[in-house]
Amino acid sequence: MNRLHDGKTLTLAVSKGRILDEALPLLARIGVRPLQDPARSRKLILDTSRPELRLVIIRAQDVPTYVEHGAAEAGIAGRDVLMEYESGELYEPLDLGIARCRLVVAGRDHAPAARPRVATKYPNVTRAYYAARGEQPEIIKLYGSMELAPLAGLADRIVDLVDTGRTLRENGLVEIATIADISARLIVNKAAMKVKHAAVRRLIAQLRGAVRPRARD
Amino acid sequence: MPYDRWLLPEGVEEILPPEAGWLEALRRRVLDRLQAWGYELVAPPLVEHLEALLTGMGRDLDLQTFKLTDPRSGRLLGVRADMTPQVARIDAHRLHRDAPTRLCYIGTVLHSHAATPGGSRSPLQLGAELYGHDGVESDAEIICLMSDILTLAGVKPLCLDIGHIGIFRGLARKAGLDPDREMELFLLLQRKAAPEIMESARAWRLPASVRGMLLALTGLNGGGAVLGRARRQLRGAGAEVMHALEDLRRIAGLLKRRLPAVTLHIDLAELRGYHYHTGVMFAAYHPGEGQALAWGGRYDNIGRVFGRARPATGFSLDLLRLLRRRKPPRAAGRCILAPPAATDAALHEMIAALRRRGTRVIMDLPGRRNGADETGCTHRLVRRRGGWRVVKL
Repeated sequence: MNRLHDGKTLTLAVSKGRILDEALPLLARIGVRPLQDPARSRKLILDTSRPELRLVIIRAQDVPTYVEHGAAEAGIAGRDVLMEYESGELYEPLDLGIARCRLVVAGRDHAPAARPRVATKYPNVTRAYYAARGEQPEIIKLYGSMELAPLAGLADRIVDLVDTGRTLRENGLVEIATIADISARLIVNKAAMKVKHAAVRRLIAQLRGAVRPRARD
Repeated sequence: MPYDRWLLPEGVEEILPPEAGWLEALRRRVLDRLQAWGYELVAPPLVEHLEALLTGMGRDLDLQTFKLTDPRSGRLLGVRADMTPQVARIDAHRLHRDAPTRLCYIGTVLHSHAATPGGSRSPLQLGAELYGHDGVESDAEIICLMSDILTLAGVKPLCLDIGHIGIFRGLARKAGLDPDREMELFLLLQRKAAPEIMESARAWRLPASVRGMLLALTGLNGGGAVLGRARRQLRGAGAEVMHALEDLRRIAGLLKRRLPAVTLHIDLAELRGYHYHTGVMFAAYHPGEGQALAWGGRYDNIGRVFGRARPATGFSLDLLRLLRRRKPPRAAGRCILAPPAATDAALHEMIAALRRRGTRVIMDLPGRRNGADETGCTHRLVRRRGGWRVVKL
């Protein structure tokens, strides 16, 4: 249950790692700076220079869950995580244009497989992608080091995030198809959008303003 | 495995003391209030023929419904996942009234999937439906009734969110979308995913004016001023959209007068239940809750599949969720422990008289020592001067 009932305070859920690193400069532009250094602090809830806004730092896959339940009114999550989450119970009003990468299908070569075995962290996205092409793959859910799966003979294909493509190349894999271009989105809890409308709308408008100048670079 | 035999299926719950007592008290107060508004109680069955439960309700409800085969007829039965179609069938086929009909209901429904991760699959659905009147007055009555019930259950402050399906339908028609694309647009609007709406609208080669209106929809939410903004931004959208905006303006006016303490929020891109709604749609929120607590809307066509289309509007909620967020009521009042007297007629008469007045009396059983502690009693019946007296423990 949400502990903040005053209609003004907002909690923003952000995932550790690249999204947090690239979100901090964006937040700084709208005057939100964590009072402790998130890289050093072990605290999971960080107060910021704006008393009405706090950050919670959690795992990327947990951001939509927190926001959907209203444990945080808003969050920053990669499009990959949102596509996999498949709930439709969140608002995604703004592309923040940060943490850009691609979700791709890769393998050792382009040779077709009748019923490919696909290793991935994204079983829902993978199933939907292949279904749209009339194929039904065998999906193997893994939690990391996807590139190893084809080399070890565990899978014919992988579906994974790619930034520069260097890890794929170094492991002798080639990109076969791009499923989606990925960047981080601002997500908002549906109830918060209504009940804390002014505060949420202000946050969206400010972030939209902070994103725009960069898009022109 | 023997150790998990006592576990309940995922998302299925039982209610124990003292919550079960609080639930029953809440249920009685809420049903009394519904009756005071003139809504008659109906009790539809737990299972029905699948066609009756699902006809005209869309694929979502089909996937939510548990199915079984009736060994007597070989026909497929469904366990109700939503009582609204059952009540519509009752109105259309059992009551045959021409006058406006007000019905209410309460019962457990079963869902194959919880609405939210970790949520319940067996909500206790309570709702009210008003058949036979087409107009904003009946929508306003249902919304006021929903607010009254939520306030009675201790939900305060209350925020109402109101939208209208005609705006989305009118725009989709204007854009000339086929059913697949309309569905895709619906899903994108549910997420207010402005970047993807732009992407899709371009890919579908929609005219710039229509693209602009679709994008505007994601921003048309907020207080009453939204309606004025919508009239300007959706000016070229056609009569259906303008008619919907006019309905909303009139309902907002009625609600502002009748529910001054409630915050009114308008969201023209909110499309909960879009498969069967035909007019105004609404939901109720509380600042401490991440999801809506009650919702409903107008669904004029549902009776048609049962051979009798009547205008209809209604709301429903999960009473268990209202129970969960309530502060526990004060202690249950006094409880009297009576001695285990098998033959004392005066004692039995005294106990019976107390119980007739609604006082709790628990008769101790022979051979138990700490009876008062075990039963949580506050008083005891003792023999004094030839009669029985109630004394504090």
